[in-house]
Amino acid sequence: MEYETIERELFIEATPEIVFDVVSSPDHLTQWWPDDAAYNPTPGSTGRIVFVDGDAGDIVAGFAVVDAQPPRLFSFRWTQPVDEPAEIGNSLLVTFELTATAGGTMLRMTETGFRDMNWDVVTLEAQFAEHEHGWDFFLPRLPSYVATLVTRP
Amino acid sequence: MTAPIVEKVDDELWSAIGDPTRRRMLDLLLLDGVGTATSLGQQLPVSRQAVAKHLAVLDRVGLVRATPAGREKKYRVHEARLADVVAQLASVGSGWDARLQRIKRIAETIQRQQNQAD
Repeated sequence: MEYETIERELFIEATPEIVFDVVSSPDHLTQWWPDDAAYNPTPGSTGRIVFVDGDAGDIVAGFAVVDAQPPRLFSFRWTQPVDEPAEIGNSLLVTFELTATAGGTMLRMTETGFRDMNWDVVTLEAQFAEHEHGWDFFLPRLPSYVATLVTRP
Repeated sequence: MTAPIVEKVDDELWSAIGDPTRRRMLDLLLLDGVGTATSLGQQLPVSRQAVAKHLAVLDRVGLVRATPAGREKKYRVHEARLADVVAQLASVGSGWDARLQRIKRIAETIQRQQNQAD
Protein backbone atom coordinates (compact mmCIF):
# COMPACT_ATOMS: atom_id res chain seq x y z
CA MET A 1 0.00 0.00 0.00
CA GLU A 2 1.48 3.32 -0.98
CA TYR A 3 -0.12 6.26 0.76
CA GLU A 4 2.98 8.33 1.22
CA THR A 5 3.06 10.64 -1.75
CA ILE A 6 0.74 12.52 -4.04
CA GLU A 7 2.50 13.25 -7.32
CA ARG A 8 1.26 15.32 -10.22
CA GLU A 9 2.89 16.73 -13.33
CA LEU A 10 1.46 19.15 -15.81
CA PHE A 11 2.56 21.30 -18.72
CA ILE A 12 1.92 25.03 -18.52
CA GLU A 13 2.21 27.40 -21.44
CA ALA A 14 4.13 30.05 -19.52
CA THR A 15 7.78 30.68 -18.65
CA PRO A 16 9.23 29.13 -15.45
CA GLU A 17 9.58 32.67 -14.05
CA ILE A 18 5.83 33.26 -14.29
CA VAL A 19 4.93 29.80 -12.97
CA PHE A 20 7.35 30.22 -10.06
CA ASP A 21 5.68 33.46 -9.14
CA VAL A 22 2.22 31.86 -9.27
CA VAL A 23 3.16 28.89 -7.05
CA SER A 24 5.19 30.89 -4.52
CA SER A 25 3.83 34.38 -3.95
CA PRO A 26 1.16 34.77 -1.26
CA ASP A 27 -0.91 37.03 -3.52
CA HIS A 28 -1.07 34.39 -6.22
CA LEU A 29 -1.56 31.56 -3.72
CA THR A 30 -4.89 33.02 -2.67
CA GLN A 31 -6.01 32.90 -6.32
CA TRP A 32 -5.66 29.12 -6.49
CA TRP A 33 -5.90 27.82 -2.92
CA PRO A 34 -6.48 29.48 0.48
CA ASP A 35 -8.63 32.55 1.07
CA ASP A 36 -5.80 34.35 2.81
CA ALA A 37 -2.03 33.83 2.95
CA ALA A 38 0.63 35.57 5.05
CA TYR A 39 4.31 34.59 4.63
CA ASN A 40 7.44 35.66 2.76
CA PRO A 41 8.36 33.35 -0.13
CA THR A 42 11.92 32.96 1.18
CA PRO A 43 13.51 29.90 2.85
CA GLY A 44 12.84 29.76 6.60
CA SER A 45 9.91 32.15 6.51
CA THR A 46 6.88 31.07 8.50
CA GLY A 47 3.32 32.29 8.35
CA ARG A 48 -0.18 31.04 7.87
CA ILE A 49 -2.84 30.26 5.33
CA VAL A 50 -6.53 30.68 6.09
CA PHE A 51 -9.57 28.91 4.69
CA VAL A 52 -12.82 30.72 5.31
CA ASP A 53 -15.62 28.34 6.18
CA GLY A 54 -18.95 29.88 6.98
CA ASP A 55 -20.25 27.01 9.08
CA ALA A 56 -17.15 25.96 10.97
CA GLY A 57 -15.39 29.32 11.28
CA ASP A 58 -12.01 29.93 9.68
CA ILE A 59 -9.54 27.10 9.36
CA VAL A 60 -5.99 28.35 9.92
CA ALA A 61 -2.94 26.28 9.03
CA GLY A 62 0.74 26.99 9.55
CA PHE A 63 2.81 27.61 6.43
CA ALA A 64 6.63 27.36 6.47
CA VAL A 65 8.78 27.97 3.41
CA VAL A 66 11.43 25.22 3.23
CA ASP A 67 13.24 26.13 0.02
CA ALA A 68 12.93 28.73 -2.72
CA GLN A 69 15.21 28.68 -5.76
CA PRO A 70 13.63 30.85 -8.44
CA PRO A 71 12.61 29.80 -11.00
CA ARG A 72 13.11 26.08 -10.50
CA LEU A 73 12.07 25.00 -7.00
CA PHE A 74 9.66 26.05 -4.26
CA SER A 75 8.79 23.90 -1.25
CA PHE A 76 6.85 24.43 1.93
CA ARG A 77 5.35 22.61 4.90
CA TRP A 78 1.76 23.16 5.94
CA THR A 79 -1.00 21.85 8.25
CA GLN A 80 1.14 22.35 11.40
CA PRO A 81 -0.47 24.49 14.12
CA VAL A 82 0.45 28.15 13.53
CA ASP A 83 2.37 28.49 16.79
CA GLU A 84 4.40 25.29 16.34
CA PRO A 85 7.48 24.75 14.20
CA ALA A 86 6.85 22.58 11.15
CA GLU A 87 8.41 19.16 11.43
CA ILE A 88 7.94 15.61 10.27
CA GLY A 89 4.78 14.32 11.92
CA ASN A 90 2.83 17.58 12.21
CA SER A 91 2.94 18.77 8.62
CA LEU A 92 2.87 17.83 4.97
CA LEU A 93 5.72 18.79 2.62
CA VAL A 94 4.71 20.22 -0.75
CA THR A 95 7.40 20.60 -3.42
CA PHE A 96 7.05 22.32 -6.78
CA GLU A 97 9.78 21.59 -9.33
CA LEU A 98 9.82 23.61 -12.53
CA THR A 99 11.59 22.62 -15.74
CA ALA A 100 11.74 24.82 -18.82
CA THR A 101 10.50 22.95 -21.90
CA ALA A 102 9.70 23.96 -25.46
CA GLY A 103 6.85 26.45 -25.28
CA GLY A 104 6.50 26.53 -21.53
CA THR A 105 7.15 24.84 -18.21
CA MET A 106 6.77 21.32 -16.88
CA LEU A 107 5.50 21.67 -13.32
CA ARG A 108 5.94 18.71 -10.98
CA MET A 109 4.15 18.74 -7.60
CA THR A 110 4.66 16.27 -4.79
CA GLU A 111 3.04 16.22 -1.38
CA THR A 112 4.60 13.85 1.14
CA GLY A 113 4.43 13.08 4.83
CA PHE A 114 1.13 11.20 5.09
CA ARG A 115 2.71 8.11 6.61
CA ASP A 116 4.29 10.13 9.40
CA MET A 117 1.21 12.12 10.14
CA ASN A 118 -1.31 12.28 12.81
CA TRP A 119 -4.17 11.09 10.61
CA ASP A 120 -6.43 13.88 11.78
CA VAL A 121 -4.44 16.12 9.48
CA VAL A 122 -4.99 13.88 6.51
CA THR A 123 -8.71 13.97 7.14
CA LEU A 124 -8.43 17.75 7.39
CA GLU A 125 -6.76 17.82 3.99
CA ALA A 126 -9.56 15.63 2.66
CA GLN A 127 -12.03 18.21 3.93
CA PHE A 128 -10.26 21.00 2.07
CA ALA A 129 -10.39 18.85 -1.05
CA GLU A 130 -14.08 18.30 -0.50
CA HIS A 131 -14.66 22.03 -0.20
CA GLU A 132 -12.86 22.58 -3.44
CA HIS A 133 -15.05 20.09 -5.23
CA GLY A 134 -17.91 22.26 -4.08
CA TRP A 135 -16.37 25.35 -5.62
CA ASP A 136 -15.47 23.50 -8.79
CA PHE A 137 -19.14 22.76 -9.12
CA PHE A 138 -20.50 26.19 -8.27
CA LEU A 139 -18.02 28.61 -9.81
CA PRO A 140 -18.63 27.70 -13.47
CA ARG A 141 -22.33 28.41 -12.90
CA LEU A 142 -21.75 31.93 -11.66
CA PRO A 143 -21.21 33.77 -14.98
CA SER A 144 -24.50 32.60 -16.47
CA TYR A 145 -26.27 33.40 -13.23
CA VAL A 146 -24.76 36.89 -13.17
CA ALA A 147 -25.82 37.33 -16.82
CA THR A 148 -29.43 36.65 -15.89
CA LEU A 149 -29.22 39.36 -13.23
CA VAL A 150 -27.74 42.13 -15.36
CA THR A 151 -30.23 41.73 -18.22
CA ARG A 152 -33.05 42.57 -15.85
CA PRO A 153 -34.09 46.22 -15.69
CA MET B 1 -20.19 24.34 2.89
CA THR B 2 -20.88 20.64 3.37
CA ALA B 3 -21.04 18.37 6.38
CA PRO B 4 -17.60 17.04 7.29
CA ILE B 5 -16.98 14.03 5.11
CA VAL B 6 -15.09 12.40 7.92
CA GLU B 7 -17.33 10.82 10.49
CA LYS B 8 -16.34 10.07 14.05
CA VAL B 9 -15.87 6.42 13.25
CA ASP B 10 -13.28 7.33 10.63
CA ASP B 11 -10.95 8.83 13.24
CA GLU B 12 -10.57 5.34 14.63
CA LEU B 13 -10.08 3.97 11.15
CA TRP B 14 -7.31 6.45 10.44
CA SER B 15 -5.50 5.87 13.69
CA ALA B 16 -5.74 2.12 13.07
CA ILE B 17 -4.00 2.50 9.74
CA GLY B 18 -1.65 5.22 11.02
CA ASP B 19 0.57 2.62 12.70
CA PRO B 20 3.41 1.26 10.52
CA THR B 21 3.27 -2.27 12.01
CA ARG B 22 -0.44 -2.53 11.32
CA ARG B 23 0.07 -1.30 7.75
CA ARG B 24 2.76 -3.93 7.30
CA MET B 25 0.32 -6.54 8.60
CA LEU B 26 -2.29 -5.41 6.08
CA ASP B 27 0.35 -5.65 3.35
CA LEU B 28 1.12 -9.24 4.39
CA LEU B 29 -2.55 -10.19 4.64
CA LEU B 30 -3.22 -8.74 1.18
CA LEU B 31 -0.23 -10.63 -0.18
CA ASP B 32 -1.01 -13.99 1.45
CA GLY B 33 -4.79 -13.71 1.40
CA VAL B 34 -5.09 -15.01 4.94
CA GLY B 35 -3.02 -15.09 8.13
CA THR B 36 -2.98 -15.82 11.85
CA ALA B 37 -1.26 -14.06 14.75
CA THR B 38 1.36 -16.82 14.60
CA SER B 39 1.97 -16.66 10.84
CA LEU B 40 2.16 -12.86 10.89
CA GLY B 41 4.40 -12.89 13.96
CA GLN B 42 6.88 -15.07 12.08
CA GLN B 43 7.19 -12.44 9.35
CA LEU B 44 7.41 -9.37 11.60
CA PRO B 45 9.91 -8.22 14.22
CA VAL B 46 7.24 -8.19 16.94
CA SER B 47 5.88 -10.83 19.31
CA ARG B 48 2.87 -12.97 18.57
CA GLN B 49 1.11 -11.22 21.47
CA ALA B 50 1.77 -7.78 19.93
CA VAL B 51 0.50 -9.02 16.57
CA ALA B 52 -2.67 -10.30 18.24
CA LYS B 53 -3.25 -6.85 19.79
CA HIS B 54 -2.73 -5.12 16.45
CA LEU B 55 -5.13 -7.58 14.81
CA ALA B 56 -7.74 -6.74 17.43
CA VAL B 57 -7.41 -3.02 16.57
CA LEU B 58 -7.78 -3.74 12.86
CA ASP B 59 -10.72 -6.03 13.59
CA ARG B 60 -12.46 -3.34 15.70
CA VAL B 61 -12.46 -0.83 12.83
CA GLY B 62 -13.47 -3.52 10.36
CA LEU B 63 -10.28 -3.55 8.29
CA VAL B 64 -9.88 -7.29 8.85
CA ARG B 65 -12.34 -10.08 9.45
CA ALA B 66 -11.70 -13.04 11.69
CA THR B 67 -12.90 -16.60 11.37
CA PRO B 68 -12.19 -19.21 14.07
CA ALA B 69 -9.68 -21.87 13.03
CA GLY B 70 -8.85 -24.32 15.82
CA ARG B 71 -7.09 -22.55 18.68
CA GLU B 72 -6.33 -19.49 16.54
CA LYS B 73 -8.29 -17.10 14.40
CA LYS B 74 -7.72 -16.67 10.70
CA TYR B 75 -7.74 -13.08 9.46
CA ARG B 76 -8.52 -11.66 6.04
CA VAL B 77 -8.51 -8.05 4.82
CA HIS B 78 -11.99 -6.54 4.52
CA GLU B 79 -11.44 -5.03 1.12
CA ALA B 80 -14.50 -2.77 0.98
CA ARG B 81 -13.41 -1.11 4.22
CA LEU B 82 -9.88 -0.70 2.92
CA ALA B 83 -11.37 0.91 -0.17
CA ASP B 84 -12.89 3.60 2.13
CA VAL B 85 -9.40 4.51 3.27
CA VAL B 86 -8.09 4.61 -0.26
CA ALA B 87 -11.03 6.78 -1.34
CA GLN B 88 -10.28 9.33 1.39
CA LEU B 89 -6.70 9.66 0.24
CA ALA B 90 -7.87 9.86 -3.36
CA SER B 91 -9.99 12.87 -2.44
CA VAL B 92 -6.87 14.51 -1.02
CA GLY B 93 -5.19 13.92 -4.37
CA SER B 94 -8.10 15.33 -6.35
CA GLY B 95 -7.80 18.52 -4.30
CA TRP B 96 -4.42 19.00 -5.90
CA ASP B 97 -5.84 18.32 -9.36
CA ALA B 98 -8.16 21.30 -8.93
CA ARG B 99 -5.40 23.51 -7.50
CA LEU B 100 -2.97 22.67 -10.30
CA GLN B 101 -5.57 23.43 -12.96
CA ARG B 102 -6.01 26.88 -11.40
CA ILE B 103 -2.21 27.40 -11.28
CA LYS B 104 -2.09 26.55 -14.99
CA ARG B 105 -4.91 28.94 -15.83
CA ILE B 106 -3.41 31.84 -13.87
CA ALA B 107 0.14 31.38 -15.25
CA GLU B 108 -1.07 31.05 -18.85
CA THR B 109 -3.23 34.16 -18.51
CA ILE B 110 -0.24 36.16 -17.25
CA GLN B 111 1.90 34.81 -20.09
CA ARG B 112 -0.69 35.82 -22.73
CA GLN B 113 -0.94 39.30 -21.24
CA GLN B 114 2.87 39.64 -21.38
CA ASN B 115 2.94 38.41 -24.99
CA GLN B 116 0.35 40.99 -25.98
CA ALA B 117 2.27 43.73 -24.21
CA ASP B 118 5.51 42.90 -26.08
